[in-house]
Amino acid sequence: MKETIDIILNECLTELDNNPTQDEIQSVKVKFLGKNGRLTALLKGLKDLSPQEKPLVGQLVNLARERIEAKIAAVEEAVKQQKLKEKIESEYIDITADFTHGKRGALHPLSMVNKQLMEIFSDMGFVVKEGPEVETDYYNFQALNTPLDHPARDMQDTFYITESILLRTHTSPNQVRVMEQSRPPIKMICPGKCYRVDDDATHSPIFNQIEGLVVDKNVTLCDLKGTIEAFSKKFFSDSTKVRLRPSFFPFTEPSVEVDLTCSNCGGKGCRLCKGTGWLEVLGAGMVNPFVLDNCGIDSQIYSGFAFGFGIDRMTMIKYGISDIRLMYQNDIRFLQQIVG
Amino acid sequence: MKAPISWLKDYVDIDVDINTLEERLVSIGFEVEDIIDFSDKFSGVVVCEILSIDKHPNADKLSVCEVDIGEKQLQIVTNAKNIRVGDKVPVALDGAVLSDGTHIKDGELRGVKSKGMFCGGEELGANDSVYPNASFDGVLVLDSNERIGESMINVLGFDDAVLDINITANRPDCNSIYGVAREVAVALGKKCKPLDCSYIVNGIQNTANMVTVEVVDSDLCPNYFMQGVTDVTVKPSPLWMTRRLFKVGLHGISNIVDITNYVLFELGQPMHAFDHDNIKDRTIIVRRALSGEKIIPLDEKEYVLDKDILVIADKSKPVGLAGIMGGLNSGISQATSTVVFESAVFKKENIRKSAKKLGLRSDSSARFEKGVESYTADMALSRALHLIQLLNCGIVTAGRIAIGEEIHSERQVSFKYSRISKILGISIDENLSSKILESLNIRTSITDGVINCIVPPYRQDIDKDCDIIEEIIRVYGYDNIQSTLLENVKVTVGGINVSHKEQFAVRDILAGAGYNEIITYSFGNKNAYTKMLFNDKYKDNLIRINNPLGEDMAYLRATLACNMLNTIAFNLSKKNKDFALYEFGRCFFAKSLPLIEQPKEITMLCMSITGENSNFFCLKKAVDLVLAHFMLPYKIKRSELCYLHPGKSADIILANGEVIGSFGELHPTVLDYFDIRSTVSICELNFDRLIALSAADSFKFHRISKYPSSKRDFAFVIDSKISVGDILETVKDISPLIESIDLFDIYNGGGLSAINKKSVAFSITLTSYDATLKDSEIDNVSDSIVEELRKKFGAKLRDN
Repeated sequence: MKETIDIILNECLTELDNNPTQDEIQSVKVKFLGKNGRLTALLKGLKDLSPQEKPLVGQLVNLARERIEAKIAAVEEAVKQQKLKEKIESEYIDITADFTHGKRGALHPLSMVNKQLMEIFSDMGFVVKEGPEVETDYYNFQALNTPLDHPARDMQDTFYITESILLRTHTSPNQVRVMEQSRPPIKMICPGKCYRVDDDATHSPIFNQIEGLVVDKNVTLCDLKGTIEAFSKKFFSDSTKVRLRPSFFPFTEPSVEVDLTCSNCGGKGCRLCKGTGWLEVLGAGMVNPFVLDNCGIDSQIYSGFAFGFGIDRMTMIKYGISDIRLMYQNDIRFLQQIVG
Repeated sequence: MKAPISWLKDYVDIDVDINTLEERLVSIGFEVEDIIDFSDKFSGVVVCEILSIDKHPNADKLSVCEVDIGEKQLQIVTNAKNIRVGDKVPVALDGAVLSDGTHIKDGELRGVKSKGMFCGGEELGANDSVYPNASFDGVLVLDSNERIGESMINVLGFDDAVLDINITANRPDCNSIYGVAREVAVALGKKCKPLDCSYIVNGIQNTANMVTVEVVDSDLCPNYFMQGVTDVTVKPSPLWMTRRLFKVGLHGISNIVDITNYVLFELGQPMHAFDHDNIKDRTIIVRRALSGEKIIPLDEKEYVLDKDILVIADKSKPVGLAGIMGGLNSGISQATSTVVFESAVFKKENIRKSAKKLGLRSDSSARFEKGVESYTADMALSRALHLIQLLNCGIVTAGRIAIGEEIHSERQVSFKYSRISKILGISIDENLSSKILESLNIRTSITDGVINCIVPPYRQDIDKDCDIIEEIIRVYGYDNIQSTLLENVKVTVGGINVSHKEQFAVRDILAGAGYNEIITYSFGNKNAYTKMLFNDKYKDNLIRINNPLGEDMAYLRATLACNMLNTIAFNLSKKNKDFALYEFGRCFFAKSLPLIEQPKEITMLCMSITGENSNFFCLKKAVDLVLAHFMLPYKIKRSELCYLHPGKSADIILANGEVIGSFGELHPTVLDYFDIRSTVSICELNFDRLIALSAADSFKFHRISKYPSSKRDFAFVIDSKISVGDILETVKDISPLIESIDLFDIYNGGGLSAINKKSVAFSITLTSYDATLKDSEIDNVSDSIVEELRKKFGAKLRDN
């Protein structure tokens, strides 16, 4: 009997080894395990065996059945895997044949830089403020210690609307507006558009400035240097150094020009920095006591610093833009570069 | 300010090279904008003596000369006519470069070799102010004493450099050679030599007897000084003086005029020399001009004056524009024998205004505009008289007429010494501070912690503690300032304001939707607004700039759409197509015109989409995105905005009834005017109002139903004029069970039973929060929809 079972088993396994199709597997199932299958027949014949043989043969048949079933499962899995493989292979596409790519819109480079500046200063505890672009002579000049006959007015060619209403020439009027509205401690920046009668390759009649102001007890020139250093390390790179040079603005005293290590060459000297290794980017100084007192802040108790710089220039330096006009022409081919 | 090194050396010992000097000056606040090196003007030109002149064998107009340049003799071919044997002339040798950039090489002229070229003054960048007869059009014949072989750089006094220094507005005292010299001395740690202003009064005349001065409008002329010179000989000035004038951009005229110019540059004080004989009735009146009064100054043009312009007049007429230019009728001539020098202080604001009004600016007005003061004005007059004697060209009369305020004297500034470290953040030793201030001619004493400073009269910019502190630190050096980060300052919470925050949020949304940000100028012009079909009333309310850059930038913009259209047209002209743009910017609205107060500034958002496949609905997607960001539901109705297509545009109406903006395709006429041949849709929103009305902060979530929703599809045939929006709006209001309606088809092609009809298909989703919907409830809603749309719009369920 055992021999018969082995013969059937071997025959069945041989058939299954022969790379059967799903249909062939099915017929193997029927042939051996089906209602009238050969193994089933053996089971049916058990009743004719002796009580001693019955359990022995029954066990052998079941073992054979289990082996066949395991084999069928394995072969079926192999067939399924093969089919899946063929299906996937047949579905291959040319992933480089792309003409539906999504185009992201671009932020204007000035906005990108503006955002970065606001975030850096905001993180340093500065609030961001805004002020009117159409200003009065008082806020734009007089309150900033620039009376009518002040020579500093020569430095700024102003668009006038009436004798006392003008387009702001800098963001500094917001120093006064903020100091009038709030008390120390004051830490603010104010970005915005400014206007000057100027139109050539390096000047645009409209440009963007950012104003910074800190007023409290114990604010010093060293704090001004440290603040600008911290900002420029974040904006440019950790190795950026800061240099102060004497200068003049009517609303700060002492006044300084602030130079930063050239971000292009790291201070070695290049075309951008005209070989000096330094970029002239900021005007700053300690708030003139006249301005403080005029805003009702006692200059004997409080001190402060203010700084201002051109966002356009920062943007040009940061992104290597050589011509300011590119930024106001708004050619898509220029704008889109930043999103690739 | 142009300062020749050789001139500075009169007052301060400069023993460093020019680059070190530049560096030192920059470090104390004097930016050197340019170094004009005169020794670079030309090269390779030396003095030669002409040994022989022979006719050129092949050319009538040329001569062949043998010359001696010291180390050797050379043959030079020339076309010069003004040379003789024995003359000394400049010769440019092989390899020389002339002042106009011409390179000289050995060559052949008509078959005869020439080892160089004779030079005229112009080729060497020289004129009569630099060397006698250098302006002559021909070869420059030199003085017979010139040394053969000497470089012409030395002969012309070009072994010199000029610093072009940017003088900040607070330092008018440094718009002068002597002022710069004082700073150079500080920069190099040297002493500045005093300026010799001494003169001897020789004549029997007294100025007071020569002329009477009346300052009528002393508000515009706080100080007026005069002094006379008799027995004047008008002649050319010596070369040392004209060469200096040449290097600062002037040229010699005559000794008297040159002296006034020399003092102008040396001390920064403009002066004027009157021919005494031309002063009618011997009276000088400083007064405002009469309205309509005329004058012809030295530029020989006639100017009509008004009462804001200050003139120097005699009894009958103006003889000079105060501080700007002398009159042609009172100038110095060869015949002048008696001179009165004027040195005055005129109010800078008035001079600025007058010069601007007349369109006439001079070295003199430039100085007055920056500010002069009485101490230097008085000193300048003495210096001029000193020069008269130095040049030996007249006899100085006794008595100076000095009218006006007290002459500036030293000023005192005192403050607590501790202020210095309080402002700077570093402490500076008292002795060091005093030494620094001493070098600036500020005398100090420190007692009981208070520093007392005596400031020289020419430093009108110093009157407070912070001015002194600035003087100390600029000389001590800003490199000594440490970096600290507000260690002793209260902590503040920073933050970005709402408007900027929301602008950046919307920028990100629009970027995701493929929109590119543009930034344009804030100007507008009436012509462009006419092209946008705005009416006159709209245009009359625009705010005009008084001094615009041009008519196309003459107004403040009241819409972003105009620049948007220009940008679209620009991009199309560059062959860019299919693009979406947006801009954030302020628009300006006058409360009344002419402006009496600042206009209202509104931040607007303008969006546009351009391309053959774009349309109204493409842009509406962007509108939806922006409005959804602020959680503002809106309705639309047909817009009447002039520049939009009346049939393809809409006003955006918020729940409170406010129109927040409009959008739509462009009016065909506007497209034509802007020469745009593409479909353009444009939207302008009041961004400030969007922020103000934003519902995003008050938003709350609601629960979702536990029970399954049901869907029903409908297709109605309606009159094609009925708007789909009205249908959907009506459906929405029929039952609270209707959760959403989705339009999925509009069809107006063939197959419909009647013309002028369209089929509208939509599906509704019904949801109950209380129980599972019964079929009967759903049927009820369906029936109501059919009935309601039939009644209201004559809509019929589509049967096929």
